[in-house]
Amino acid sequence: MTKTYADDRQPLDRNWLHKQVRHLRLWRRFLTQAMVRETHYRAHFITTLLVGLVQLGLGIVPILLLFGFTKEVHGWSRAEVITLAGAYQIITGLMAAFVAPNLQRMTAYITEGELDGVLLRPVSSQFYLTLRWINVAELSNVASGIVVLVIGLVQSGASPDVSQILQALVLAACGLVLLASVWSAMSFLAFWLQSVNPIGFIYLNLMEAGRYPLVFFPVAVRAFLTFAFPVAFATTYPVQALAGDVGWTPVAGAIALSVVAVSLVRMLWRRGVRSYASASS
Amino acid sequence: MNTLVRNLRVLRRMTAAQIVQQSVYRGAWIIFMAANVCVPIISLLIWRTAIANGAQLPIDERYVTTYFVLLSFVTMATSSWLTGFLANDIRLGKLSSWMVRPASLLLGFVANNLSEKFLKLFALVPMIGLLWWIFRDSTNIPAGPGRWAVFAVSIVLGAILVFTIDILIASLAFWMDDVTALAQARVIIASVLSGAVVPLALMPDWSRGFIDNQPFRFTVSFPVEIVAGNLSGHDLLVGLGVQAAYVLLFGVLARLVWAAGIRAYSAVGA
Repeated sequence: MTKTYADDRQPLDRNWLHKQVRHLRLWRRFLTQAMVRETHYRAHFITTLLVGLVQLGLGIVPILLLFGFTKEVHGWSRAEVITLAGAYQIITGLMAAFVAPNLQRMTAYITEGELDGVLLRPVSSQFYLTLRWINVAELSNVASGIVVLVIGLVQSGASPDVSQILQALVLAACGLVLLASVWSAMSFLAFWLQSVNPIGFIYLNLMEAGRYPLVFFPVAVRAFLTFAFPVAFATTYPVQALAGDVGWTPVAGAIALSVVAVSLVRMLWRRGVRSYASASS
Repeated sequence: MNTLVRNLRVLRRMTAAQIVQQSVYRGAWIIFMAANVCVPIISLLIWRTAIANGAQLPIDERYVTTYFVLLSFVTMATSSWLTGFLANDIRLGKLSSWMVRPASLLLGFVANNLSEKFLKLFALVPMIGLLWWIFRDSTNIPAGPGRWAVFAVSIVLGAILVFTIDILIASLAFWMDDVTALAQARVIIASVLSGAVVPLALMPDWSRGFIDNQPFRFTVSFPVEIVAGNLSGHDLLVGLGVQAAYVLLFGVLARLVWAAGIRAYSAVGA
């Protein structure tokens, strides 16, 4: 008795949890594959590392110049702003490694009909489109960011305890989720606008605001950088947490905001897919 | 003289054609320009905060504000993106078909550059105008038609300078397989030395002599300084002279390297 596709089959996932675990396992496969691929392009790794180091240095130049003229700005010392530069490098490195290679393909997915192939696969299409491709070389920037962060912390004489480190990690994780959500939302506009490559460019330029503490900006801009383009959660708040100036309230706020952002992006995605009329068939 | 007239006519036709072609992307131009003003605005807010917080800068709030408001306009007006494209045309042999045409391949790039700037102007000028209006209490306006003229001339000279440096680097593709790394290094170095990241006036004293006289200052910083700073008549004349000298120097160099490259060129696919 041979089985055919017409026969009843077990559903792919027994329950909700199993589905999440399956996607996690899938992501681990993506990562392994990306690492194997990276070993084929060693020159790419070196170039990415060098460019990252130069950009890191370039980001520190204005800070060094600025603090050549003053000891502190709104309570931030030079060492603390350098810590922030490290945090910025880590966050942008993580985004460039795990999220950017995918969202930069969004225009191609939708205008060239590649999305058709994705929709047919037994996987959450939003998950696949947002996390399928990984640029392992960018993780070298995360490493250099950690070095700068530690140098900044030592110079500023901060000695965060375990709970403060935990706060910083949760805040940074929420910051990453929030930034990825905003960028996803901007990219999913491709369903209606066709080409979103220039929008990615706006995103990358706005990100630059994360190099500086939130209090360096006028009040209206602070609100924008906290709620609309939430780069503050990715850099300023984690560094403040490490300095011991935060507490658990902003952490709770960040988690709540992340949940809201992810749900909104999910809704936007659903609407987008419903309006998708395939480019190829 | 005949050659010049003919080239100008070809240039006019090609620019018109490029404008038509590139207006297809007018939405993208607007978004690109909006992205371009982001980083100068961020820098502007940071340095204004520093001044308000009592930092002792060698320049005042007026200078900083005018500088960053004008910065994205001047970087756009003097920009050029031909290195990668020209290097590709040399490497992949597209140059061959241009060698039998009655105009230089470079003329095509001039037309592309002019048309792109023409279109970007429509997107950028309203944005700069809005910024100017927001910060109108602390921005300078060129004092009198003389300053306007000098500002315009130095922007044109700056644009020619950037264009010739690009040709110079791209021409190395006649001998090298890949100039992308070199082009990237140049972009990064230029972003600091041209004053696009931090006003050159804020650079430390020990670097003064070098910073004030290196060529990249004349690609962006100098035109902005004409409006933002208090350059005396003497400084202006010397600056314009040095700028013109750099244009001449890089022009001659680019011309020599390009001519040598054309002679060394063995076409792919010919």
